[in-house]
Amino acid sequence: MTKLDTPIAAVSQARPRRPRATGRLLLNAALAVLFLGAALTVEVDLTRLLEAPAAIWRILVLMFSAPDWSELERASGLMLESIHIAWIGTIMGAILSLPLAFLAAKNVTSRTGSTVVRQVLNAIRAVPELILAIAFIPIVGLGAFAGTMAIGLHSIGTLGKLASEAIEGIDPGPVEAATSVGAPRMAVMRWGVLPQVLPEIVAFWLYRFEINIRAAAILGIVGAGGIGEGLSQTIIYRRWDRAGVYVIVIVLATVAIDAVSSRIRRRIIGGGDRAIKTEADMVTDGHGQSGPDPAKGPNPRDFG
Amino acid sequence: MISFKNASVTYPGGVHALRDVTLDIPPGQMIVIVGLSGAGKSTLIRAINGLVPLTGGDVRVDGRSVTQASGRQLRELRAEVGMIFQTFNLVKRTTVLNNVLMGRMHGTAWWRTLLGRYPADDLEYAMRALERVEIVEKAYVRASNLSGGQQQRVGIARALAQEPKVLLADEPVASLDPPTSHVVMRDLQRINRELGITTIVNLHFLDLARQYGERIIGLREGDIVFDGRGEDADEQVFRDIYGRSLTADDVLEAKAEL
Amino acid sequence: MSAAGVESAPSRQRRPARPRRSPWAYVSVIAFLALTWWAGSDRFGIGFSVPELIENATRAGGIVSDFLDPQWIYWTALIGPFIETFQMAVIGGVIGCSIALVVAFLASKVTTPNTAAYLADKALLNILRALPDILYALVFVAAVGIGPLAGIIALILFNIGVVAKLLSETVDGVDLGPSEAAQAAGGNRFQQIRAAVFPQVLPNYLAFSLYTFELNLRASTVLGIVGAGGIGTLINVERAAFRYDRIAVIIVAIFVIVFVVESISIALRRRLV
Repeated sequence: MTKLDTPIAAVSQARPRRPRATGRLLLNAALAVLFLGAALTVEVDLTRLLEAPAAIWRILVLMFSAPDWSELERASGLMLESIHIAWIGTIMGAILSLPLAFLAAKNVTSRTGSTVVRQVLNAIRAVPELILAIAFIPIVGLGAFAGTMAIGLHSIGTLGKLASEAIEGIDPGPVEAATSVGAPRMAVMRWGVLPQVLPEIVAFWLYRFEINIRAAAILGIVGAGGIGEGLSQTIIYRRWDRAGVYVIVIVLATVAIDAVSSRIRRRIIGGGDRAIKTEADMVTDGHGQSGPDPAKGPNPRDFG
Repeated sequence: MISFKNASVTYPGGVHALRDVTLDIPPGQMIVIVGLSGAGKSTLIRAINGLVPLTGGDVRVDGRSVTQASGRQLRELRAEVGMIFQTFNLVKRTTVLNNVLMGRMHGTAWWRTLLGRYPADDLEYAMRALERVEIVEKAYVRASNLSGGQQQRVGIARALAQEPKVLLADEPVASLDPPTSHVVMRDLQRINRELGITTIVNLHFLDLARQYGERIIGLREGDIVFDGRGEDADEQVFRDIYGRSLTADDVLEAKAEL
Repeated sequence: MSAAGVESAPSRQRRPARPRRSPWAYVSVIAFLALTWWAGSDRFGIGFSVPELIENATRAGGIVSDFLDPQWIYWTALIGPFIETFQMAVIGGVIGCSIALVVAFLASKVTTPNTAAYLADKALLNILRALPDILYALVFVAAVGIGPLAGIIALILFNIGVVAKLLSETVDGVDLGPSEAAQAAGGNRFQQIRAAVFPQVLPNYLAFSLYTFELNLRASTVLGIVGAGGIGTLINVERAAFRYDRIAVIIVAIFVIVFVVESISIALRRRLV
């Protein structure tokens, strides 16, 4: 305390007391209790937990040390089917979600009307694709058709929500202008609203397509078509050398399609700030669910 | 004692920020460096604590070479050199005290940094530093809730908490309004006089430079074009340093009248 | 021009010709239609046809009526599996998000200036994220056996992928000033990150973690379908028994839980950042 020991210039200042951090402490304690409670009660065999790293490593070695490339043709064919499922499913979702998005936008539809439609969209979103597929299989039979329906239906929920938020974010000026010249409601939507949001919405569609590729890759597990079927079979029969081929095909196809699609998306949005903003607006978790953007946190548009 | 010997900095792309600068700064001086933006003021200051590495020559602080210091030696040297920034560089989402404690981190064990638990001694240093800039009552307030002038005083406290031998200030008042600028400059002057800390300040307002600079160093395109007492720096000198006639933008008081 | 009610100004301004559309517009439309036909056709693709859909739907009337008449009393059987789903989501989330914190700092240029290290981490994250969580579960069930352990490990990997990516992007955008100040005060790299970068991204990190918990809950409802524990296990059992009246109850329950947790999580997140 050498230099700072010199007399302090100002009149004696009262040092404030350290504020209590009760809230934070409670929160941490609650999290600890929750985690420990879950960890101690979950039915996990401890010996298995200890063996897990070695077991997983053994399988990874089996999968990728000497893949059975003779399986490549079948794997590629099934991956192509997954891509088809994702493509048609996305188009279905896109077409059906557009009118719903207008109905769910607060600045277009009445307050009650938009709330009802919005909750319907939320409800659709809440059920994972795989479970929708399970529901569709008994109705339309095993195969790619059921998967397409599942992906299409789920996409209606997610795309409808994103698009309605885009519509709520528009500049009201053009709408006012169109209304002031006496345009009918339909024309106001077509010329006042749609041009403002279309690039963004098309970008959402492409983004959804990227996510749907991943979803379509697993539908085969329940028999709804695509590469998941081949993969789960090879794993059930412990043909790890073949399973490795499937994994490689999925990774390569997904990464390649992501690269192309995100490039097109950026072009549509027009690059620059807007592209970045939109990227952040969509939760780019890429795993089948799109939710509100956590990067923004307090997004007033999340729930209306 | 800080000494530059044939110090040069050339940035990638061929911009010469410092050319062959030789300069001695004895302990306890209050030095103001003036020059246009891009003249090399920032580079000169950052060469002293090694934030900008020299591409030629040497800088020594108390006899220790900055250019040849190892990572650990450089950190030890930086611990003795406090720095104040134009944009304050505070972590706005945390408390004032946590920001000031950053000045103590060079001597802190890694696990203490990890947990954010500093020893009582360090806390005392931080509190005293805050008292010296008369803002201790804000210790537990989030930095984002302070005004610009208050934030810069926290920045000064952070540097003081290091117990520095040298204080570097890079355009400390460029983001502040004129009255606050004087408050901050007087704080720096007091610290220099009362604590005997060598203080090096970058400024571009000539009236501030003349008022507070014991010694003024003029930089132009990386060369020292003036080195003398504050009272000797008349308008002709500034015209030479700036390489053009003076405008209202060069004077703080003129800005105040706008 | 009186018909239009506009007097044309007698000036020498030339009216421009209507600009031609970019050929790319036509190419895109044709490519789009071709892709769609290819994907939807019976011969090359999935064989999408609306009449078939309607025909199937009417034929499957019995199943549909089962769906629409859920056996509500069955909900009591769901409590145990749902608790397991929660346990998996919590454990996977806490461990995954903790690891992700470190991985995220390694995946940002701001905190990892070593280009090779940072690119390697980014590449690893991209591969990690290219695979759906349920594929991980599929492999881990084979490795460590049926049960929630496989699901938890799958969720950990999934969470590392999500949180590390989002957080590393946040780190890319932090204010570099405080880090420079920490460096100038003699702090080492670890101290710079902890004292200057971490506090800036903490609220975002918490928001991402909450968000992942929400995703985990959704994901862990389906992990059971491949034997990785949780409510999905029941779906498999009832599916094998053709008890669609019970599956309907499960779907409704999943929907309610996901919906409630999402609402709470959104409300919390909104207060965070």
